Amino acid sequence: MSSFRVILLSTALGMSILSVPAFADDCASGPVTVGFLPKLDTDPYFKVATGGAEDAAKEIGGKVVEVAPSQATAEAQIEFINNLVSQKVGVIAIAGNDANAVAPALKRAAKEGVKVISFDSDVAADARSVFVNQAKGDSLAEMMLQSMHDLIGGEGEFAILSSTPTATNQNAWIDFMKNVMAKDSKYSKMKLVQIAYGEESEQVNQQQALALVQAFPNLKGIIIPAGIGLPAAARALDQAGLIGKVKLTGLAPATLMKKYIVAGQAQDIWWNVTDLGYLTYFAAQEVAGCKVSGKEGDAFKAGRLGDYKVGAKGEIVLGPAKIVTPQNVEEFKF
Amino acid sequence: MTRLLSRVDGWDLLLVVLLTATVTLGALLTPNFLSAFNLSQAASGAAEKGLLVLPMVLLIIAREIDLSVASVLALASVILGVLVQGGVPLPFAIPIVIVAGGALGALNGALVTAIGLPSLVVTLGTMALFRGLGYILLGAASINAFPDALTNFGVDDVPGTRIPLVIVPFLVLAPVFAIALQLTPVGKRIYAIGGNPSAALYSGIAVARVKFSLFVVSGMVSAIAGVVYTARLSNARANNALGMELDVITIALLGGVSVWGGKGKLTGVMLALLLIATIRNLLGLNQVGGDAQGTVIGLLLIVSLLIGNAAEFLAFALKSSEAKAKMGG
Repeated sequence: MSSFRVILLSTALGMSILSVPAFADDCASGPVTVGFLPKLDTDPYFKVATGGAEDAAKEIGGKVVEVAPSQATAEAQIEFINNLVSQKVGVIAIAGNDANAVAPALKRAAKEGVKVISFDSDVAADARSVFVNQAKGDSLAEMMLQSMHDLIGGEGEFAILSSTPTATNQNAWIDFMKNVMAKDSKYSKMKLVQIAYGEESEQVNQQQALALVQAFPNLKGIIIPAGIGLPAAARALDQAGLIGKVKLTGLAPATLMKKYIVAGQAQDIWWNVTDLGYLTYFAAQEVAGCKVSGKEGDAFKAGRLGDYKVGAKGEIVLGPAKIVTPQNVEEFKF
Repeated sequence: MTRLLSRVDGWDLLLVVLLTATVTLGALLTPNFLSAFNLSQAASGAAEKGLLVLPMVLLIIAREIDLSVASVLALASVILGVLVQGGVPLPFAIPIVIVAGGALGALNGALVTAIGLPSLVVTLGTMALFRGLGYILLGAASINAFPDALTNFGVDDVPGTRIPLVIVPFLVLAPVFAIALQLTPVGKRIYAIGGNPSAALYSGIAVARVKFSLFVVSGMVSAIAGVVYTARLSNARANNALGMELDVITIALLGGVSVWGGKGKLTGVMLALLLIATIRNLLGLNQVGGDAQGTVIGLLLIVSLLIGNAAEFLAFALKSSEAKAKMGG
């Protein structure tokens, strides 16, 4: 009896989804609704970015809806991609948790007439039209090295405290830094003594930072290219009374490092996260209106940020990141 | 009155009412909720949970539990990825993965039945162990290159409909499990074991063998879910379906399966699966994020347990007052 009911239910479910898909691939004539899909709902970084998008929406019309998963996984994002398609947004702007795993869902969204762009963390290139990148990866590596050079006077031992041994971005940056140091005589007096890993955990970062300082008595600085690691290491060294003796630089929200930056104990490489959201919203509206397709050379104007051009592989670069110093720290709201 | 009450399962009725109310509210208040695309995608999102909950219900009814299902799913996904990467064609790779899942289930089953360890502890251990093996095989990396046959299965619909292919394994297995549980001697034995293990043993039921088989089946179905998951997300990585076992257990309990064993039916569980999928979908459509969704589901579980208990108490009170009236008359 009950198995019969199960079959009935399954059939009912089946019947209700027996219909023909509707395709639409037209260009919007006015501003559309843009669905923002960040990696994780608790990450303040994306809250700030969405704020920037809302500023842009106030200027040129249209609407921002934000949905975010509670786990930083592709699986969680896929449900929200489908949700956004069902809500019939014009464009989905996604920061991908897994470049390839979200691709089928994004392609399906495109089939339903929703345009897709990525920001902050790219997805598979054939699943989106443009990628709004905060900064060129190489430039970030170069600036971190430059910043360390400036902090320690271009001379002495330093270490790198990276995220995980398998992190793609970080490994590419480390390789880039090693290459530059080998070629450029400006860095000839700087010596990279060790690469350690903070495993994206505050606790491990703190332990590793202290361990580095103890293992290398002449250590003058640490580069920490990971948003969780840099503030965590700064706090650990602060408590141990070692910050300043050992200088820090890397990637992290500028506000979290402000105290140490102002005191000259650390620097930071950062970009304007509000602007990233602002630019992403403009790019989304251009894509919705078919004015930008992702072809290299497509150009558009992004409000107060000025003119942008689509580069190779559909990439739009926000602009060079900045080395945050006591002089410009006030510019950064995040 | 009591006859009627005892014939209609009160719990199923409660779930039907909740489901009808949710769907009606959704249809009225949320545009596009009833669109073919939305329903189709909501269904495909529940494909793995639907599979995992089938053997889980049988295990809980038999007073056991399998916390390792999501880890078996992940390890199966990793094994499939490694095999495909190594050039093994799908018609061989998929059976190997399912057999491997059965072997993992057999390990759980052997530890529980041969050594007599509690399944809660055993599968808590293997939950970490199996996922750990996935990390050993693949590290934090992922495998994304799969044959078209598999990735198409992950995104395409049954030809001519909008029923996603990924839900088909569930649609095939669910009736099989329901029939096995409700209409066959095996099902009767499972209820008997959960109702009273000692009595079941003394009445000649091979308790250990039944339990061992259930764990093997759980491993195999979890491996099938692993294949489905790999196809749907076109990726194999060790952190796939992290924490899904809790969703699955929630669905089973909301479906009216008793944590103390011996009680519960798959019909209720299927209703619970539909209810949770619908609620999550509606919340998502109304821009409610993941954490808040979890809160709503948690509340739903507790409130429905309270209502269920109150209803049972009322039915009992009604019965005893009628009995009293009869005795008085």
